[in-house]
Amino acid sequence: MLKQFARWLFLSLLLLAPTTFAQTEPIVIDFYYPTAVEGPITEAMQRYADDFMAANPGIVINPIYSGSYTQTRETILTEINADAVIVDVAVMLATDLYSFIENAPIVPVQDFIDPLENAEDYTADFFPAMLANSQDMEGVIWSLPFQRSTPLLYYNADLLREAGYEEAPQNNEELIEIAQALTTEDRAGFLLPVAGAFPIWLYQSFAAAYGQPLVDADPTQVYFNTPESLAAIEFMTKIGLSQAEGGFGVGPLGGSAWGDTPAAFTSGAAAMIYHTSGSLTQILKDAEFEVGVSFLPSGPAGDDGTGYGAPMGGGNLYLFNDGSKSEAELAAMWAWVMYLTSPEVQADWGALSGYIAVRQSAWELDPLKTLTEETPQYAIPRDQMAVAVKEFDAYRSIDIQNIINPALSRILSTDAPLSEAPAILEEAQAQIDALLAEYR
Amino acid sequence: MNGRRFTTALTVIFAALWLAPLFFSILMSFRPEAEPISIGNIFFGSQITLENYQTVLTIAPWGLHYLNSVIFVVGVLIVQLFTVTLAGYAFARMQFPGRDFLLLIVLLQIMIPAAVLLVPNFATIRDLDLFNTHWALMLPYWGSAFGVLLIRQTFRGIPYELEEAARIDGATLFQVLRHVYIPLSIPAYLSFALVSISSHWNEFLWPFIITRSDEVRPLTVALNQLYQTSETGAQYSQLMAGTILVIAPLVVLFALFQRRFIESFASSGLK
Repeated sequence: MLKQFARWLFLSLLLLAPTTFAQTEPIVIDFYYPTAVEGPITEAMQRYADDFMAANPGIVINPIYSGSYTQTRETILTEINADAVIVDVAVMLATDLYSFIENAPIVPVQDFIDPLENAEDYTADFFPAMLANSQDMEGVIWSLPFQRSTPLLYYNADLLREAGYEEAPQNNEELIEIAQALTTEDRAGFLLPVAGAFPIWLYQSFAAAYGQPLVDADPTQVYFNTPESLAAIEFMTKIGLSQAEGGFGVGPLGGSAWGDTPAAFTSGAAAMIYHTSGSLTQILKDAEFEVGVSFLPSGPAGDDGTGYGAPMGGGNLYLFNDGSKSEAELAAMWAWVMYLTSPEVQADWGALSGYIAVRQSAWELDPLKTLTEETPQYAIPRDQMAVAVKEFDAYRSIDIQNIINPALSRILSTDAPLSEAPAILEEAQAQIDALLAEYR
Repeated sequence: MNGRRFTTALTVIFAALWLAPLFFSILMSFRPEAEPISIGNIFFGSQITLENYQTVLTIAPWGLHYLNSVIFVVGVLIVQLFTVTLAGYAFARMQFPGRDFLLLIVLLQIMIPAAVLLVPNFATIRDLDLFNTHWALMLPYWGSAFGVLLIRQTFRGIPYELEEAARIDGATLFQVLRHVYIPLSIPAYLSFALVSISSHWNEFLWPFIITRSDEVRPLTVALNQLYQTSETGAQYSQLMAGTILVIAPLVVLFALFQRRFIESFASSGLK
């Protein structure tokens, strides 16, 4: 009898257990973050998670290092295809917006910003250039900037001074003039890292500086076959062509490899380079000379001929909801996103990772404030935000990149002579338009 | 004589080619980070440094990842030895309807790239509620088409009379396997184990997709962290230090195992 009673009690306890636990069970947020720069990233993420959890009992943040952006995308798409979406919040490329709108259950952060009391001020504190890739044509914000970067001109200030140049080149003509003055047998005057698979990022800076950015707000339009584009590509190609061949003769034919370029600069094999702001910390650490940093020199666009065109790059925070999430879970996800983009966290994250802090007010806070005072180079990418442009994104963006990158590489490497460039651009544009036709 | 010298020279050249990546990985791992390899400067640089190893050791709980890799590899191998022995015996010696057709299906498994099975396997593991566990790592590898074929071929090469003799003495199926087939197939088992261990030690995609925490993730997934500095450019010195850490046990094991492998091969040939 007693035994039977005990069994009954045990069974009823088992049945009760899930409901009793449900009330106290914390909300778990699986947060995927890829890394693209060096540094103690994993440690920092865990610290942010711990701080957030201490302030928000009832929410558990589970930071998951998810490899590269590509690997993170594959992981998320595998989950979606297997109908088992685990990810709650993820850092993914800002330029994944339209492929996610099409293929992944993302929720626009606008839904969470709107109810905020200070919604307008809140949005305005993000650098507008960084939000350009977050907004669709109606202006709805889908993702919030988190780890953003932009290309910069790095120059060996000691070498420039020796050659009689006190300042960084302001425009493309000066860039070439100084580069030619600094080119020697074992030193490139200027390295443009466009060799290899992804010349599209830096190409965009030239296209915009020549007057026609690759994309605008319309995700069904890509402007590749334009006179400005042709002029930009011609300029880029000439950097690697010798003077005998009609070029500038300041760097290797076809440009340098992305990954090797910072080391070439710090070891003295190059006097000036284009590279991401994300490399600033490593370059400052490795270089044994005075490192100068400036805006990308301007091109001929605009009324006064000072067309700037540095594109944005890097990752944003996306929220995922496959339809199974409760209000409380969504609120917790948003709270975490808000925390990560808060001025306090951004001031820490920006100083630690080398990414550009995404909130303007973050730059008034330590440790970022002290860092920019002690090392003014860090303020340059922030200032360049005023003239930075939207990064390439559109519907079918990955397919389109796979058209544009090989087309650019063929011309830049001079596999095809410059005279064939118009035909290559025309063909690529036709392929792009064919892909986008159904979205228009 | 000339022909022999030529063969030797060719062997040395190929050996050097095979060794080059390992050699340069080791060189790079001891080279100061700020000194890239350049033309005419490919050796240790200005000094030999342990700094790369120190940096790499701080980025991940390597001990935990080593343990996970060992659990993964050993857990797969033990079950595989069991399944390939039984399946190998069935396909080699037993008569049953549909045997050849089943063998064909096993063969097909070799031809399907693992990436194709990623999504269905992921869904299965989720349904079994094993996501982010050691079981999830191992489960898809418990059957091995390569192992089944290898053991089947080996068993077929063993004279059937030996099994008959054992049977007459009253041996059961398992005793026949234990006392006749397995002892005579040690070299095949060793080479299978070698292939199994090295391929699972190096496995990346599946462990990466199916695990989410350091408590479960093997070495390859931890090493991946060092490879993902796509934006700022590669830190080759650290990359190589990490790579050496990850492959070291395998290289040592292979060096030891190779000898054992050849010995056992020779001894079984004498029997």
